[in-house]
Amino acid sequence: MNAFVDPVGASLPRLEAREKVVGAARYIDDHARPGMLYAAIAQSPFAHARIRGYDVSRAKALAGVRAIVTGTDIPIRRVGGVLKDETMLAVGKVRYVGEPVAAVAARDLATARLAAQLIEVDYEPLPAVLSIDDALKPDAPVLHEDLDSYVRAMDGHSHGNVIWDSTLVEGDVDAAWARCDVIVEGTYRTPAQYHAYMEPNGVLAEVDGNGRITVLATCQSVHHVQTRVADELGIPMSQVRAQVSRVGGGFGGKHASNIHSIAAWLARASGKPVKLALSRTQDMEIQRSRHPAVIRLKTGACRDGTVIAREAEITLDGGAYADESPNVLAFAMLMVRGPYNVPNVRIRGRAVYTNKLRAGSFRGFGNPQAAFAGESQMDELAGKLGMDPVELRLRNAMRAGDRWIGGHTATTCQLVSCLEKVREAREAAPALPPPRPGRKRGTAVVAVAHISGLMGTSASVQMRGDGTFALNTGCVDIGQGSDTVMTQLCASVLQVPVDRIVYGTQDSDLSPYNWKTAGSRSTYMTGRAVVAATNIVRERILEHAAAMFECATADLELRPGGRVGIVGVPGKEVGFKDVALRSLFRSGGPIAGYHGFVFDGERFDPKRALIERLAFDNLGIYTFGAQCVEVEVDTVTGRVEVLRVWSAHDVGKAINPTSVEGQIQGGVVQGMGYALHEQLVWDDDGRLSNPSFADYKIPGILDAPAVIVPIVFEDPDPTGPFGAKGVGEISLVGIAPAIANAVCAATGARLRQIPMTPERVIDALEQS
Amino acid sequence: MSDIHVHELNVNGEAHEVRFAATATLLDILRQQLGMTGAKRGCNQGVCGACTVLLDGAPVRSCLTLAANVGERQVMTVEGVQKDGMLSRVQQALLDSGAVQCGFCTPGIVIALEALLRERPMPDADEIRHALSGNLCRCSGYVKIVEAAVKAAGVAP
Amino acid sequence: MRFSAPETIAEAAALLREDGARCLSGGQSLVAMMNADLVTPSTLVSLRRIRGLDRIETGADGRLTIGAMATHARVARHASASAGAELVIAAAGTIGHPAIRNQGTIGGSIAHADPAADYPTAITCADASVVIAGAAGERRVAAADFFKGFYETALEPGEIVIAVEVPPGAPGARAHYEKFALIDGDFAVVSAAAIIGMENGRCTFARLAIGACAAVPVRSAAAEERIVGTDLDDEAVREAADLLVQCCDPLDDFRGSASYRLKLVPRLLRRAIGSARQKAERARV
Repeated sequence: MNAFVDPVGASLPRLEAREKVVGAARYIDDHARPGMLYAAIAQSPFAHARIRGYDVSRAKALAGVRAIVTGTDIPIRRVGGVLKDETMLAVGKVRYVGEPVAAVAARDLATARLAAQLIEVDYEPLPAVLSIDDALKPDAPVLHEDLDSYVRAMDGHSHGNVIWDSTLVEGDVDAAWARCDVIVEGTYRTPAQYHAYMEPNGVLAEVDGNGRITVLATCQSVHHVQTRVADELGIPMSQVRAQVSRVGGGFGGKHASNIHSIAAWLARASGKPVKLALSRTQDMEIQRSRHPAVIRLKTGACRDGTVIAREAEITLDGGAYADESPNVLAFAMLMVRGPYNVPNVRIRGRAVYTNKLRAGSFRGFGNPQAAFAGESQMDELAGKLGMDPVELRLRNAMRAGDRWIGGHTATTCQLVSCLEKVREAREAAPALPPPRPGRKRGTAVVAVAHISGLMGTSASVQMRGDGTFALNTGCVDIGQGSDTVMTQLCASVLQVPVDRIVYGTQDSDLSPYNWKTAGSRSTYMTGRAVVAATNIVRERILEHAAAMFECATADLELRPGGRVGIVGVPGKEVGFKDVALRSLFRSGGPIAGYHGFVFDGERFDPKRALIERLAFDNLGIYTFGAQCVEVEVDTVTGRVEVLRVWSAHDVGKAINPTSVEGQIQGGVVQGMGYALHEQLVWDDDGRLSNPSFADYKIPGILDAPAVIVPIVFEDPDPTGPFGAKGVGEISLVGIAPAIANAVCAATGARLRQIPMTPERVIDALEQS
Repeated sequence: MSDIHVHELNVNGEAHEVRFAATATLLDILRQQLGMTGAKRGCNQGVCGACTVLLDGAPVRSCLTLAANVGERQVMTVEGVQKDGMLSRVQQALLDSGAVQCGFCTPGIVIALEALLRERPMPDADEIRHALSGNLCRCSGYVKIVEAAVKAAGVAP
Repeated sequence: MRFSAPETIAEAAALLREDGARCLSGGQSLVAMMNADLVTPSTLVSLRRIRGLDRIETGADGRLTIGAMATHARVARHASASAGAELVIAAAGTIGHPAIRNQGTIGGSIAHADPAADYPTAITCADASVVIAGAAGERRVAAADFFKGFYETALEPGEIVIAVEVPPGAPGARAHYEKFALIDGDFAVVSAAAIIGMENGRCTFARLAIGACAAVPVRSAAAEERIVGTDLDDEAVREAADLLVQCCDPLDDFRGSASYRLKLVPRLLRRAIGSARQKAERARV
């Protein structure tokens, strides 16, 4: 078939790579409009305070100020995910330092910022709760006095400062402990990690002559932004158009909208376009973090290494607003058993309010916290059993057909191959020069899993008059490469090169619905919709060609490059352009296909598991993996350096192998930052101590391992597009426990708290 | 409010007359007055490297460079890297190697690598890593960026 | 805010007498602070147009003179001709990242006087002098007297750092700058600087300094005396470290607790002394 290369499975360059390397890609702050105003936000200086009143007179008097909004101007319309507890600006109370209390639009940024500083808010400071322990004290100050009255999608047993309280039970743990030869117990603590996408959040809102609002956003879903702005402004979704700029990274941090309505409000009030671009510091103060967690975990096994019981108590620090806390909690609970066949499991999970930045969605979504506890404890268990940690994992590893906790079947599962492969790759790797004096090396392997399927999505494909195609979905490319993957899927079904397809940018007026770019779901979910919609188009093309040739569609085949031919007759064929022209001008009408669905996997099995108040009930399609890290510990300073990483994942089918590798390598380094140094730190007044890149440090190139070897297994999922499953998050998940286990292997010191700062490593070395 | 200065700024080989306050940084002027939004504001503290431009051939932070202090020096931004509409070898290699993900750090990476290859046409991986040590990337884990740089330099990986 | 770029030191000094005026050299700290709204100078006085402020030269006596406007990158590339120079050059190479080193200057760094910065510790250890110009002419201040506290120096209003003079140290001595940061390019958690001379297995010359452990770089004459004449045995080095630790008064912050910093002092000092010693002994062979 001469030069045609099937786009699926090809490492094609990103479709938008050219505009990115020449500096022409337009992120949110690269956009401007004639007459545009600049917005600035006034933020709370207190972690917890009652708002007695506002004085905006000085701000209003400033030349160039066009609009001001405070909490008194907005009707109370609480928004959020499962639990709706948040308003566009603080109303009545502030609940964390940095919370937006008022906003200004002015002719330039300097004026807007000055005006924001001139807004006087009369606060009555209240005692603040800054830790999980404080939040749960019986006499703790309560953040949300009206919690009972908030709208919620389901009961989460919310009370006091408890956002959500769930349980998940399989088997009989209490009976199982007696049969265990070895039991290990420990408490594991994880920090608030900041997403640190390179592009700070921002929005440009404008109102047209009919009063309709358009919101251009850097976001993970235009449909979410549209919903949120409509809800907060109290107008129908039809009166809000949400569009997306290029997105400079998301990682979950742009998953839920919390600043877009402010700009929309100011645009409406001023009648002018308004841009609100957060500074890095504001982004760190206002957006969200990964949930700090405390996980008490207990695991029991028989002498031969068969794990028969695990019990977990997970407590997440949700910050001042629920955001995705109920869902992150649910997912952490679903993940903490791990990819092992453990028959007796009891998990209790709670998320609590504290007077800090909200915690929410972040690559891994509760799984990194659960895995840090679970996979650290697997090595501790192996130590106590006197067993090789990889052998212990192999003994208990899930295989295809085994069930996840709750009852979902792992239709495909290459966990055993992944474990064996990383071990092999590590053993075959060239030896490094010996460590310098004072440094010790260690290696460890962990097992991980994640999901690919949840929520709803859709795609539409339309044939154009020259035989090219327009593909539209609501799936926003936040940097991971979904534009290219969707185009590859569509092109492969139609057997055309990718340049025959245009992938439309997301616009709530035009794009078919998609929930969000989140949960490692884009390739699996939206990819499925793309393939199904494209198959409809393919069928219509064949029908037209059959009419043109006066034959049955069964006698026809697509030929690479955009032609339909009669099977077995090489010369007999018609080009897509002729098919398209026929459809547009002669017969049948424009050729188009649409497919939409909501995740349709197995549900939890109520006979198998007792599930109470879990905020997710429809998700699945598991990706498995194993990760091996080699570290060097400087026993003089405590600094841990990650030298090499091998990360193996059963992705089903790599639609774009280079992109899959990029996801794996990027996740590994973000996981390394989480493991070793990243943490938002709050002082005793609830103020962030390190809200800038000068003080919150993400790994640079010299901190990152020079060798990160991605290993990809292709075991097609029967429901996935060309068999593909998700790979967006899993590579981050196991890195922290792998490093902790490798540090232990190198030095004997067991760290049960991340980040494993040099100081904590030195303390652990002194205790071991 | 600050004094307004009128200066001639030489950017990508072209002289531009610009008016700005004394507090304005080179990044402000490039982005807001010259419409050159290739250099990005990632942190405004000189840490992330997304705003890197060349000043008389040396990579500097445009967010930490006051426009008033640039003087007669030559500024080169990512917009000036292409020659006659052709991608430079650095740009082409980044594109081909899958080294571009969200792309927000990419202009700074392009500039840092252009500067490196001008100074050292055949750098090894270690020199590449040091040259990029001030350019943060949150997406890639850096591996493919180094691969691209090695490819651009024409040396075998 | 006003901006001026005078062509003479006298003009610059006159402008800097104004209340709220700040001197702008490389701007890598000052502009970052302006961007964060931490300072709002009334006038910025750029030194960029003053000729000769960026020279780096070694005198006949081995003294290295580094002009205030010399960038970290140029200092780091300079060939060292003495132990003092070696230390300052090594420190320059550890500051920030390439783009920061291309703009940042030694004058700006020491005038900023961040106790966690690298130059202050290195020039204090090297017994360098800071050359200061003002209306009354030039004066020289020993580095140890130049740093007065957190972000505080001996500079009076209307004075400018114009150069740093680094004496060579003892003949045959060598230097090492041991910086420990949590992550590449960050400020030091603790740094240790050492210049060591060796003869027949005995230490003949020692200069030691600790950075990021007090408001100013920490020196201790007693610590240096404790190791001179010894073969740098563990006990001597430990006691010298103890003497230095007694002079330290570190802060608790998110980079490390005070107690961790104190713990690091002897550990890093041992590495700095060990490396300097090794170089000195290798140079003798």
